[in-house]
Amino acid sequence: MSTLRMGLREGGREILAFSLGLVPWAIATGIAMRASGLSIGESLAMNVLVFAATAQLGTLPLLVSEAPVWLILATAAILNLRFVIYSAAMAPAFHDQPWARRALGSYLLVDVVFLVQGPGLLQEQDAQRRWGRFLGAGLWCWGTWQIASLVGIVGASWVPEHWSLGFMGTIALLVLLVPMCRERVMLVTALAAGASALLLRDLPLRTGVIAAVIVGLVAGYLFERRQQGVARER
Amino acid sequence: MGEWRLYGIFALMFFATWLTRGAFLLAGERVRLPAGMQRFLRFAPAAALGALIAPELVGGTGQPLDFLSPRLVAAAAVVLVVLRWRNPWVPFLAGMGVLLALQHLGG
Repeated sequence: MSTLRMGLREGGREILAFSLGLVPWAIATGIAMRASGLSIGESLAMNVLVFAATAQLGTLPLLVSEAPVWLILATAAILNLRFVIYSAAMAPAFHDQPWARRALGSYLLVDVVFLVQGPGLLQEQDAQRRWGRFLGAGLWCWGTWQIASLVGIVGASWVPEHWSLGFMGTIALLVLLVPMCRERVMLVTALAAGASALLLRDLPLRTGVIAAVIVGLVAGYLFERRQQGVARER
Repeated sequence: MGEWRLYGIFALMFFATWLTRGAFLLAGERVRLPAGMQRFLRFAPAAALGALIAPELVGGTGQPLDFLSPRLVAAAAVVLVVLRWRNPWVPFLAGMGVLLALQHLGG
């Protein structure tokens, strides 16, 4: 068996248990897209093209309210900023790979793949096997995600509208946010951004979201600097 | 036009996502992320999630703020459940259960 095929199997096996956690999330995302008014075709297209649950769920309210395109893209980009960190951390594992692999890798690099595979891949010496492990894990997650979302996208048709299934999207975002907030500085950031979003909710074209994100970033930055200042004085 | 607008936006969102994930993969060895920048970017997800979730729970554009809304109570249940259990299904069941129960009670 080639080292590439060996890697593929290995990657799939390594991610298997973690990928199951994607299932409820994917179903919730599928349902939330339909509940906010997207057709089955539009939901499928969004799911395959964007393939980033947080950006999908976060932009749904903006898509529905016909917010300007630049605002939708800016919101998606901000929600994606964490990927820039992943990208920087994973880059050494891709330096010796051809461009096509780096391009496909950029599409498949989701949270769970980075968190589970990242450390191991950076240590893997064999380039073929390293790519195999990444691809195996990435494709497995992609397939799991698409199939489970499809269940939500199609299943949403049978649920009565007054069940407020769109709230599934909000729950999914909360599930992502809560563990982050175990770190005090993240809690401060999220609360500052949330409070500002409420105060600024009537700014035109829903630009309050972006303004609130900036307030949150600055609050987090200042809080961390203060924390470090206090630590140094001791 | 209206029908294709969404697909056009999805295509643009594809690039927005692919380019952020690929930022350093595609650039190869030439570029590295400065440490200061990395620290600042760390706050982006929490800030964005906070800004997006709060209006959904308390009141969005054109709505009055309601700090006793069924959605906020349901969200509180979700937070408690996430802190307590690792099972990925429980938050969805708890959140939707509380929301539907409160909406039912409220008529």
